[in-house]
This record gives sequence, C-alpha cells and structure tokens, in this order.
Amino acid sequence: MNTDRTTVEELVYQTCTALDRNDYSEFLGLCDQQFEYKVTAFSPEIRKDMTWLDHNRAEMEELFHTLPKHNSDHAPLTRNAVVYKVSYDNDKKQANVVTALQIFRTNLDGGATQVFAVGKYYDTVSLDQDKPILVKRHVKLDTRDLGWGNHIPI
Amino acid sequence: MSRNSKQWTQKPNLPSTHYADPKIYSDPAIFEEEKEKIFKKVWMLAAHESEVANPHDFRTYEHPGGTRLVIMRGEDMKIRTFYNICPHRGNLLVYEPSGNAKKLVCIFHQWAFDAKGDCVDIPRGKAGYQDRICESDVGLREVKTEVGYGGFVWVNLDDSCAPLSAHIGSALDYMMPELETEPLEVLWYYQATLRTNFKLIHDTNQEFYHDYLHYHNRITGMLDPKSGYFQRRYTAFPNGHASVGSMNVSYDAYTGSGHSALGWPKLPPNGWKLVDLFPCITYNLRTSVLRIDSYIPLGPDRVLLEFRILGLKSDTPEVRKQREKDAATIWSPFGRNLHEDLLASSGQGMAMARGSDPMYVLHAREEDNLIHDEVGMRHYLEEWSAWMGRSSSDSTRKIADSKPQATAPAHQEQDVAQPA
Repeated sequence: MNTDRTTVEELVYQTCTALDRNDYSEFLGLCDQQFEYKVTAFSPEIRKDMTWLDHNRAEMEELFHTLPKHNSDHAPLTRNAVVYKVSYDNDKKQANVVTALQIFRTNLDGGATQVFAVGKYYDTVSLDQDKPILVKRHVKLDTRDLGWGNHIPI
Repeated sequence: MSRNSKQWTQKPNLPSTHYADPKIYSDPAIFEEEKEKIFKKVWMLAAHESEVANPHDFRTYEHPGGTRLVIMRGEDMKIRTFYNICPHRGNLLVYEPSGNAKKLVCIFHQWAFDAKGDCVDIPRGKAGYQDRICESDVGLREVKTEVGYGGFVWVNLDDSCAPLSAHIGSALDYMMPELETEPLEVLWYYQATLRTNFKLIHDTNQEFYHDYLHYHNRITGMLDPKSGYFQRRYTAFPNGHASVGSMNVSYDAYTGSGHSALGWPKLPPNGWKLVDLFPCITYNLRTSVLRIDSYIPLGPDRVLLEFRILGLKSDTPEVRKQREKDAATIWSPFGRNLHEDLLASSGQGMAMARGSDPMYVLHAREEDNLIHDEVGMRHYLEEWSAWMGRSSSDSTRKIADSKPQATAPAHQEQDVAQPA
C-alpha cells in the first residue's frame, strides 16, 4: 500500500482541474469502476440532510453524456481545494481524505468571478494499485442557495 | 424584418389580454403597489406542518409583504404565526430558521413569549414600568393562519381576510386525492435568489410552450405521441388559479434518467399534475415527488424562490432515498430542468430590466387551452389587474378600484388552524 500523502493530494487536485476543464473522461479515468458520487447539504430550515445528486459510475457517465443536450450559461467553475486530512485504513488499503472546497463561477461575458459554493469533499481513495484511485466522493455543501444552479458535478 | 424604435414599442395588433406591458416586470412603484394591494392581502404558503411537527417547534418565514414571521406549534398542537419582532425595542425575536423552544426569548433584554404569543416575562418589569406597562399589554402580533391542502401552513397579514378556502376555491380539488391520502413530509427545502421579477419565474409554471427549453421534457413528453403531452389541458379557476392535466411521462426515453417505478398514491403511474395558485405558488406532483414553489419577491427585479420537495411521512429510509433520487434528476440545484428554468427567467429579468427599452410581452398563443396555449398567463394577469386596479397591458391605465376582499364572516374570525 502506497501511503505517500502527496500522491493522494495530487489525485484530489487532479480531479478538480479535470472538472474545471470539463474533461470528464480524464475525471472518470481517476475514478474506480465502482465509483460512487454524492452531493448533500444539511438544511437548518427543516433540520434534514438533503441528497441532491447520488450516482454510480454508469450514471455519472450518462450525466456527462447528456450535458451537451441541455441548456446552460456555460460559465466556467473553478475549484479551489485544500486537503485538510488524510487518514489510512491499512486493512482496506484505502485513504480517507477530507478536503476544503471553494468553487467560483466566472461569467463568460466580462469575466466577473463570484463564489458559487463552499463545502468539503469526503473522499475514499484506493491505494491498492500503482496509483491512487478515487472510489467514493461525498460532497457536503455548506452553500444551499446556488442561484440559478448548474448541471455539472462539483 | 427588423423594427425601428417606433415599431419596436408599439402595441401588438392583438386583444389587450394577449400581451403585457413590460413595466409590470420592472417598475419599482408597481412593485411597491403589489406589496400593498396583493401580498399584504392574499394567502401565502409559508411552511409545511411537518416543519413544526412537535409542540414548541418554530419556523421562520420572510413574508413578501415585508414582514418577518415566526410560525410556532403550541402545546395544544395548534399552529400559530406571529410577527418575528420583539414588541419592546423591535429586535428580531428568532434568528434561527427553525428550532424548538418553550418560550421565545429576545436576546436583547430577555423579554419572553409563549407559543400563544403572550408575553410571560419582562425582566425587572415592575421596577422599570411600575403599573404603566405589564405583560398583558405587550403580546406578539398574531397573523391569520390556516393549515390545509396537503398539510401546508398558510398565512395572511390581513386580519379581515376571507378564509383560505374562499381563496383556493376548487383549484386544488383535482389534486386533493393525492394530497390528502397520507400525511406528507418535507424532504428538501432550498432557496434560490434570482435577479428577475417574480411573475416571470412564476410564468415558467404557467406555460409549457417553454418545454423547448428542456431536453428532458422534450424527449420524455413532447416527442412521444403516446405520452399524451399535447392533450394536457389548462383549466382556469376563479381568483387567478389554473391546473394542467396529467400525462404519462416517458422516463425511459431519457438515457440515464434512473427514474424509479415508485409512484405516488392515487396518481396514475408516471403521471404529472400541476396547479398554479395566485399570486406565486405552485403544486407540482410529478410521478413520485411533490414539489411546492412559493416565491418571495424582494424587489421589482429580485426574487427569493422557496422550493420544497415532499414525500410521504410513512416512507422508509430506502423509499425516501429513491424519492430524492427521482427529484434530483430534474429538480435539485444540479437538476436538468431547474437550472434551465432559472436561467431563462433570469435572462428575462436581465433583458427586460428597467430602462432597457423592452417590447410588449406576448401571451398570445391560443390552442384550445391545450398545453402550448398561453391561457394560464392570460388568466393570471387578468387576476393581477383586478387586484392592482390597473391594466397589465397598459400599466398607466387604471381599470377600477383594486379587487375588493371579502370580509370573513364573524363566526370564522376566530383562528381556524387545524390540529396536526
């Protein structure tokens, strides 16, 4: 098992830059065949967790495949991630990674940038292969008012 | 052929019911008038009873009339609503959006109020006020509250308003079997703040011609002759409400839809019913999930959208998870349809902003009240004109006094909130 923290951090950052470039094949190339992806937010108004996306790998592939058929403003998102904590599970040959996340949206017209969302990634990374592979990503959002929203996983 | 300035701003050669003066979507004076003549008089959907399920649960609501409210369930299980303001020095009484408290205690000077709105403690009251002011003089301002139509909490700032049933009429009868068959529960609550006029985003629920915006709706409805899409019919009801007939959504046509066979009690499989209520509330029951939209206008060009996604109170965790998944495909902030709707109505807000020289807005499609007919918007603006006392097609033209509101009969002036 490779316990080099740097390679784990680089995996997290590479998923961000791949999504920033809308390079979905690169993103999926960093993910396991059993990849699971989820976006949740806790609502203080109703005191419940809300699950806004919950996909396996096949569903993520379909989501990316249908994106061009939908209307959007196409304003690019930029992810700023800082890996806070990497803990290792030697039995499972995995790392559990907590990453602070800020996402900015830049208008195509004029280039003004605003904060789109803040939250954290809770990732499970397999260390059983030559290089780390993302097995599970749980995005916990603090931001709940996302304006007119977005189609692209964050 | 392109148009010059005169042609661009001239009224369409159509009946005045078939276009709207763009000023009604951007004029600050008209917006202030809407607050006074509509929002301070009309019933608004403020919460669901499941959000205040237990005694002493409270929930805040930013009323579009401009007043912040707090909704609270008492020990008697009755739901009451009060101005969220301490009568002492005008501080917010409740800061958190929800919670549970036996007493609402103002953080400023610790004045305390119970779930009936009675002041129950003024620290050092006698020492400071002697006998000039006592607890019974400084209760909270209570607001008319009713619970109904699926367990929703409705409020009206006008003490002399008619009962909620007089406002809703028969508009929700079409959906009542699905709404009343089992208790409901809110699964999601989320907001979206947009730079647009509230009537423009409400239009996205009142006309379906805009399904050309949505790939999902085209592929699962418009393009499938078996779906019954083009047979969906609008029914207009008194007071500006309208319903849209059901269809059979072809979820399988959307690759990766992942939509379950879960369904909803009493609703036909893959069914979709929708009811729009004046001035900006929508009941949208789509196959396995109920979505409720209630909009809070913040200005002529700014609106806070409240979305609630509901399932059944009896849902197991597994069923709830599936309902959330069904809702997420189109209606979450990352959903296929919601982003498109919010983008388009924001685009209208930007393009028709004050001073932008917009044209008259067309509401002129006539298709025998079928799905691409724009009768829903015409019916709505007819009601809007009656409440405002001004024409929606020529906002400078007064048409009559604003719509008279029936005064509640004496025997109904008492609170009519229902126990859970």
